[in-house]
Amino acid sequence: MSNLSLYSVNAILILDNHGNRIYSKYYKPPHLNNVITDSLFDNIKKQKEFEQKLFKKTHKQDSEILIFENNIILYKEYIDVTIYLVGNINENEIILQNAFSGFKGSMELLLNNGIDNKNVSENCDLVYLLIDEIIDNGVILETDPASIASRVTKQPTSDTLNQTLDLDKGLLGAWGFAKSKLQERLQQGL
Amino acid sequence: MSAQTYKKFENAGSTDLPDKMTIYQDCMNKFNESPISPKRCRILISRLLRLLLNGETFPETEATALFFSISKLFQHPNDSLRQMVYLAIKELSGMSEDVLMATSSIMKDIQNGSDLVKPNAIRSLAYVLDESTAFSAERLLKSAVVSKQPSVSSAALITSLNLLPISETTIKRFANEAQEAIGDLKQFPHSSGANSEYYPNSTFTTQYHALGLVYQLKKNDKMALLKLVKQLSDNGNLLKNQMAKVQLVKLVNDLVNRDNQLFPQFQPILFNWLSNKFESVQIETAKLITSFASSHKNARLVSPDLFASTISTLQGLLTVPRVTSRFAALRILNKISMTSPEKIVICNPELESLINDSNRNISTYAITTLLKTGTAKNISSLISTITKFIHDVSDDFKIIIVDAVRTLSLNFPQEWKSIVKFLIDVLKNSEGGLTFKNSIIEAIFDIVSFVPQSKEVVLENLCDFIEDCEYNEILVRVLHLLGKEGPFTSKPSLYVRHIYNRVVLENSIIRSAAVVALSKFALTKNDSTLKSSIISLLKRISNDQDDEVRDRATIALKLIDFTSADDENSLIAHDLLQSKKFYDLPSLENKLSAYLSSNTDSFSTPFDSASVRKFTEDEVKAMDLKRKQEQVFNNTSEGSRETPIDMSLESTTSIKEQRLDTETYHGASLDQHQEELVATKYADELMNVEEFKDFGSLINSSKIISLTEQEAEFVVSGVKHIFKKHVVFQFNIKNTLTDVALDNVAVVCTSEDAESSKLNETFTLPIDRLMPSIELQCYVAFEKDSDVVMEGFLNNLVFTTRELNPDTQEPYEDDEGFQDEYEIDPIYLNAGDYIESSFIGDFESAFDELPNEEIAVYNIQEDISLQEVIDKLVVNTSCLPLSNTQFAPNDSNSHTLKLFGKSALNGMKVALLIKMIKSSKGIVIKAQGRAEDEELCSDLVNGLM
Repeated sequence: MSNLSLYSVNAILILDNHGNRIYSKYYKPPHLNNVITDSLFDNIKKQKEFEQKLFKKTHKQDSEILIFENNIILYKEYIDVTIYLVGNINENEIILQNAFSGFKGSMELLLNNGIDNKNVSENCDLVYLLIDEIIDNGVILETDPASIASRVTKQPTSDTLNQTLDLDKGLLGAWGFAKSKLQERLQQGL
Repeated sequence: MSAQTYKKFENAGSTDLPDKMTIYQDCMNKFNESPISPKRCRILISRLLRLLLNGETFPETEATALFFSISKLFQHPNDSLRQMVYLAIKELSGMSEDVLMATSSIMKDIQNGSDLVKPNAIRSLAYVLDESTAFSAERLLKSAVVSKQPSVSSAALITSLNLLPISETTIKRFANEAQEAIGDLKQFPHSSGANSEYYPNSTFTTQYHALGLVYQLKKNDKMALLKLVKQLSDNGNLLKNQMAKVQLVKLVNDLVNRDNQLFPQFQPILFNWLSNKFESVQIETAKLITSFASSHKNARLVSPDLFASTISTLQGLLTVPRVTSRFAALRILNKISMTSPEKIVICNPELESLINDSNRNISTYAITTLLKTGTAKNISSLISTITKFIHDVSDDFKIIIVDAVRTLSLNFPQEWKSIVKFLIDVLKNSEGGLTFKNSIIEAIFDIVSFVPQSKEVVLENLCDFIEDCEYNEILVRVLHLLGKEGPFTSKPSLYVRHIYNRVVLENSIIRSAAVVALSKFALTKNDSTLKSSIISLLKRISNDQDDEVRDRATIALKLIDFTSADDENSLIAHDLLQSKKFYDLPSLENKLSAYLSSNTDSFSTPFDSASVRKFTEDEVKAMDLKRKQEQVFNNTSEGSRETPIDMSLESTTSIKEQRLDTETYHGASLDQHQEELVATKYADELMNVEEFKDFGSLINSSKIISLTEQEAEFVVSGVKHIFKKHVVFQFNIKNTLTDVALDNVAVVCTSEDAESSKLNETFTLPIDRLMPSIELQCYVAFEKDSDVVMEGFLNNLVFTTRELNPDTQEPYEDDEGFQDEYEIDPIYLNAGDYIESSFIGDFESAFDELPNEEIAVYNIQEDISLQEVIDKLVVNTSCLPLSNTQFAPNDSNSHTLKLFGKSALNGMKVALLIKMIKSSKGIVIKAQGRAEDEELCSDLVNGLM
């Protein structure tokens, strides 16, 4: 029986190159206290064990997708961080893949100096916000990287109310985005 | 700003976790400051979030204080601060009290805030509202749902979904708006984002959210859902979003699973969807069709054309460059391969090319699927393909392959030669850890026990193998096998030499195992020289430096000595040296723990092992094979059960993780184990009843048969127990009423044909009082005058109802109660109840050897599938299906089922060869039975259906 609820993502994780968490958020549908929920959600110890095991399984194994402890896992390894999307086993793999590319793409757009541990930690506010714009309580909100990125506010540049627009960066950003989109299209065309 | 605080902010990006108390203090200070500094506050909040997301929590009072001071930041209109505030509110809402106080600020934002923060505000509503306040958001949510802004509308829809469990009535009030949102294509505005430097594409995800919500609102109304599907599928361009389309496919899946007659009506749409431009839709449709077709009763509703094009869609997806699509397609193919591998043989070329895929999971799936599609024709070529690359892959992967090969060997016993060759080759020549080698040994053992012809070849190779094996555990197992099987081969002396070599060369653990194995050879028939040489070898060993080895050798010598005498001791010694019986382990465990916990006389009475059921080797094998077959089957037919099983499997071994949904080999036995335990429990309870003590020992018990609907007022299930001269029906009766107790509950069994009944009812043991939600047993005992009696009984439950006083939970004193009756399903005693399943390696020759033959022909008019007939036959006869004949091929209209069993009364063998042909008029069955016992044979063959 396939799963008709929209709650299709169980967790979003960002781990460093030792499998320690940089960011981890586990989701469960709200207001369902009487239902026995996945014990992973409120047990920190289990979560960390899960992350360690998952990391061991995926480290240096360039395989993008796997099934792990009854979850569909999509991941991408960068130099010293790995980003994961933990999805429901019954969910359509390609839907999850879309959400994951939204996650990956918007990270790449927003952290324009590349994705690494330092950058993620320094811009953690952006990362938190962008994940919040992709997944809400396990429901996929949006999959288009640019739409996600454009909903995330940058840090206030100063303590004043006015925000200035950095035109230079804007053009670069547009160029980078166009490039990545073009690449994607070409790949799909092959 | 002092230098110190400045430094602290500099470090905001450091990878170390900030200190909890410092953060708390800083937050309290900064947030209460006036004027608010948005930049610093945002940094602080993100540091706070980092703590929380790393699993730190604050005590409730501190969390509440934090929540309160954060909500003060609503005064500041900066959007980028506001977004962060909402994030913090969501995270903190779980641990602080009084979250409701933020509601008014949030609602103000929803009404007047900028387009940017509106969605964030709406989504945070789900966290602060509770059952009593949810209604207040109705108007806001309703107007947000119809907003032209996709993110606002999506946020409102998701919030409604999140709030649904606590305020369904409120949400239902704007069901129409939600429904409209499905068809509304909302463009993502280009100019309103915070970062206008990006160029968003409109993905129309709102459609997905709206469809999800509308389904939840209408899920109990089949007609409304049908209308919805029709509306959305007729106009193919209405749904632009691919997630929404997938959701629509899932909706159809839901509908056809509720009512399978709807399937033909959806067939044209499904055809279309198979070539949809989105791969996700193709995958989901393929999933729907294959899972629907995998259930027997639905299979014939799926047209062959549709199935064929599903397979070709999947086949096409196997070659796309995108990993996820390949993975998803393979997962489906793998599932099909478990039930009907013959259907996906056409994908074999693609599957073979995927064996070398860079994604390990894909190659694993490919190889296991390939092995399942193996037919008698291509097995050897498959095996040679695997042999080429097995040496290059990791241990985990090797184990999966070996397991798949093992299943193959059970399914195609006649192909044992190439399989054994492969296994021996990997065993000897491949590097690998203990778990890997152990899995090979496991597979080899299976072949030895289920394919007798292979025995000698395998044993000789194992002898070679133990010459240089580094693992004690494996050596010990192999030695045990050699001891068990070696004496019955043509050249036992060969094995003696190999085993004795181990005694000379290895450590004490292996030496002691070798001693036991050696001693078994002393019993080899008609070979006194072998016996005397064993004795001299054992004598030499009894000088060993290790205690255990010495002891074992001495005991073995003594026992061998006894066997030559011609008295009672000789039998016991024989038994001890080479046991023919095995204890029923679950029951032994149960009895032992009961013995330990009872401890009435500080263990002065010894444990009575006679009360534990014992099995002969054939019986053990039969049960083993049955379990394995059932596992493979359960695994495939019930996809839904996969989930809990996998979870439990997971914790036990990390190695097996990878085959999570390829193979649930060990998982399914949990259920089986449970069933055995229940059976043992029933048998124990039965034997403890005083009245049954005279009946002698229990010969056979049937499975539990359900005699009422599961929702009935009184749920009754029955078990048939067969004794030498008696039959006992056990009725498990459960009272599901809450306010009524039942007194003197009994079951009245009336024979269907009272005139010629061969059973005389001797007594009934009623239940004195059955309280609500309690399950108790009522027994009805019969005396039978011949060995095999077959009869049907109509059953009536009779009882006196007594109303319960709700305060005391006791019946009212003055309530006499009134007599009532309740009809339950009849119970049939058939020939199968006298039969136990049994294993035989070579069915054909065994069948020909049995003396008495009986043939019967049946005609079944009902429209059921061959598989259903087979399942029924296996249950009715309680025989063991052999040579993998318990699965009917889906593409053919005829099938031959081979069943083997033996009488529970006297152990006489019985074999059944059942041929069936399905035509448009029904199913014709020709059953040919052969048995040692003429009566049993004819009873069985004539009482098949």
